[in-house]
Amino acid sequence: MELLCLGLNHRTAPVEVRERFAVVTPKLGEAAHELVALAEASEGVVISTCNRTEFYLAAENAQAAFGLIETRLAEKIHVDSSVSAHFYRMEKAEAARHLCRVVSGLDSMMLGETEIFGQVKQAYGAALDAGATGVVLNKLFQRAFGVGKKVRTETSIQEGSTSVGNVAVDLAEKIFGHLKNSEVMILGAGEMSRITAQSLVSRGARSIFVANRSFDRAQELATEMGGSAVRFDDWQRVLERVDVVISSTGAPHAIVHREEVEKVRRARKYRPLFFIDIAVPRDIDPAVGEIEEVYLYDIDTLEQLAEEARTRRLLQIQECERIIDHELAKLKLPGT
Amino acid sequence: MGMDRWFLLAATLLAAVGAMFGMISVHKGHRSRLTVFWMVAAFTCQLGFLSVRGQMRAACPLVGIGEILAFLAWSLTLFYLLVGPAYRISLLGVFTAPVVVVFQVFALVPGKLAENPQRVIGGNPWHETHSAMSVLAYGALALAAVAGVMFLVLDRQLKEHHLKSGLFRNLPPVRELLISLERLLWLGGVLLTIGIIAGFLMPRTTGANGHLIAAVAVWVSYVFLIGLKTVRGLTGRRLSLSAVALFILSLVVFAFV
Repeated sequence: MELLCLGLNHRTAPVEVRERFAVVTPKLGEAAHELVALAEASEGVVISTCNRTEFYLAAENAQAAFGLIETRLAEKIHVDSSVSAHFYRMEKAEAARHLCRVVSGLDSMMLGETEIFGQVKQAYGAALDAGATGVVLNKLFQRAFGVGKKVRTETSIQEGSTSVGNVAVDLAEKIFGHLKNSEVMILGAGEMSRITAQSLVSRGARSIFVANRSFDRAQELATEMGGSAVRFDDWQRVLERVDVVISSTGAPHAIVHREEVEKVRRARKYRPLFFIDIAVPRDIDPAVGEIEEVYLYDIDTLEQLAEEARTRRLLQIQECERIIDHELAKLKLPGT
Repeated sequence: MGMDRWFLLAATLLAAVGAMFGMISVHKGHRSRLTVFWMVAAFTCQLGFLSVRGQMRAACPLVGIGEILAFLAWSLTLFYLLVGPAYRISLLGVFTAPVVVVFQVFALVPGKLAENPQRVIGGNPWHETHSAMSVLAYGALALAAVAGVMFLVLDRQLKEHHLKSGLFRNLPPVRELLISLERLLWLGGVLLTIGIIAGFLMPRTTGANGHLIAAVAVWVSYVFLIGLKTVRGLTGRRLSLSAVALFILSLVVFAFV
């Protein structure tokens, strides 16, 4: 019995190709079953995320199985044979190593991301429940999960946030803990503000206020985020109650000055206040950061923190690969 | 060396080991999960010390600076064990353990603990309540000062954008530290109030009046700080600095009065 993997991902195929092969989560078990039939194999697992679709199989003859799947898949989803150029094919130990890299987040678009671990686990669970797996794939996936855990605990591949939005959210959590008791104000309804605010909402921020020069745009964004729109002239009044301010207006000069923040300190009872300034030119006068309870981070600082985290992760790749090779060498996986 | 000293020495060594391992873990960027166990072991030995010493005194062992410091270290450990793990305030143990070690090392300095403690004869319950509640209060207030130091460290790192250290990663959030600090101040304040009331009710010698006046001054300072925070509000930095300064000041005052 030979182990094989056929797949496409964000590096080998554009989204218009990836979406043709995508399988929704509830259908993963059924898809694994169909895969086994298509490839005339004995075992199969289908992994499908927004960045990849991969088929893991255990078959008597890997080369024959590759040919069968590619032809029959193309027929089934009505694509021409040119699509096969987007696929990568791996066999035996190489396929096992690839799965370990995927599970560890080393093959992800965002290096070291953790979500993939759960997604692969879900895909394997669906195939297992559908009865599409056997000795070869059961051992392979269980070992891969063990290796993935080891990589994450023994290296810092998942440490630090690698995007400006996530760095801002992590800092907010370092200041306020759980964000469920935190209120957020957005100054300027730009795209970066929206993304950062969405990250805060996804981590539980209680309410969002949107202040924008165009009130219609503020209302539009507030509705989208489930928050409230505020007239731009009223932002100082709202400052009394919020914990986080995300500013990204197109103003050519600072719009938040030290005096305006000083005025509301008493009403806020000197509670901590986190300013995220992602505008260029900056919206918040750097003197605001000199106020005792204010933490001010501008786009350069956030970008620098994200870049440092990305560099730290890149430096960890070699160590992760070493752990994977070492662990795989210890195991005698069937099919490899 | 008597059994009481052995217990106190063991408690000191256990707390020191907890502090050392905790600091090494933090330096490596990991959360120290074992500190709490070292502190539980230290707490058990502290109980042993207080028990042996209590039997010798036939009263609460709070006679002389050595016993007071040992009792204070026990009280600090007690509040850490009650607050730290329950509210998941990481690193509180790592910051508390060295303070416990310092108090106990001072208590172990030759001459600070009476070799053959005399039995307390004709003890008064108000006197014992005053001593026990006051020292318990200082345990809570010492832990508030520890939380204050943790806040000051975190605040500085956040302000200066120094976010790479293991210490930064493992310190609890600003808001949680400030909430814990405020609760500990309230707890210490309530216990200190009971101690002060008991102090007024106990029979006093003329020499004890200075001590009581100092105690009332400390109590007024803490009540003012708590009142200011509750009514007007205070920045985290000022609250923390005040908690640390007041605690050190009150220790200095009682060392001389």
